[in-house]
Amino acid sequence: MSIKPVKLVIIAGKKGRVTVKYPFQEPVVTSEFRGEIEIDPAKCIGCGACVRACPPNALELLESEKETILRYFVGRCIFCWRCVDVCPVSAIKGTKNFELATDKFTDLYTLIVHTRVICELCGTPAETVKMQRYITEKVPISEEYITTCPTCRKKQFVEKVATRMVGFSELKK
Amino acid sequence: MSLKSSILKKSIWVFHLNTGSCNACDIEILDALTPYHDAERFGVKLVVSPRHADVILLTGPITAESLPKVLNAIEAAPRPRIIVALGSCGSGGGIWHDTYSTIGGVNKLLEILKERGIEVDAVYYVPGCPIRPEALLYAVAMIKGIVSKKREMKIYRAD
Repeated sequence: MSIKPVKLVIIAGKKGRVTVKYPFQEPVVTSEFRGEIEIDPAKCIGCGACVRACPPNALELLESEKETILRYFVGRCIFCWRCVDVCPVSAIKGTKNFELATDKFTDLYTLIVHTRVICELCGTPAETVKMQRYITEKVPISEEYITTCPTCRKKQFVEKVATRMVGFSELKK
Repeated sequence: MSLKSSILKKSIWVFHLNTGSCNACDIEILDALTPYHDAERFGVKLVVSPRHADVILLTGPITAESLPKVLNAIEAAPRPRIIVALGSCGSGGGIWHDTYSTIGGVNKLLEILKERGIEVDAVYYVPGCPIRPEALLYAVAMIKGIVSKKREMKIYRAD
């Protein structure tokens, strides 16, 4: 039981052309499609919440003395958009872009460079400048201790409590 | 147009090399060859032996088990030898980038190939998990010089 060639031509003529002319026309993308993410450098505070949520470590925080770099490596991204959900300042936005093919490995990187603050007491680098501003806006009382690093903060707190418990004169000995 | 493009301006014959992927990218390759997307418009044809292939479509994060076979297959391909790393696993190791049983992406493979003295003329990276058939068509069009590259490295200062 085979279809005669004439019949086949009639069926094909009724059906018309099915092939999409993709590179020469817009791609058909559904509303649920998840593509690459886009990080807004003006909004990003460098807190690292996205880095913790990222399953394949496509987002990484690289820390040096003066700078913290948020590195997005799209070649490892699985487009789950968990970073979009967890970002506290909604700096990360999902796009529908999937045309990411390159011939150079470094093209797959997106870097966001943050400046770090230095602790007033011990001089070690702490959180980013923008994160410090963010915390000060959210918690105004933190202005008193924001300029110190977490280790110094802890030390100061313990000293204060010890002073209250034991008394200043006892502590000095 | 680069040298590679001028070599490959005729039909590209591809060899599909699965190196331990989850088969999502492999199904998308087949989807790209169906009449709906029709990769044969660009002369893409799936061949059964790497000796006939111009381009090796590499999917998967290259497991330790498959590594010797992958090396044999790539060595068998004639020059110019071009690898297209498909998907997140192929191009960067994906979610398996630091597991014990995979070598993690095509970049580690290139190092091993260099040690063995097997030259690779060009590597194309196609991220996506899984890749859309359009993404593969875009990469093929890019190899042939029909469309230009959109993605490039971006460096921003936050403050």
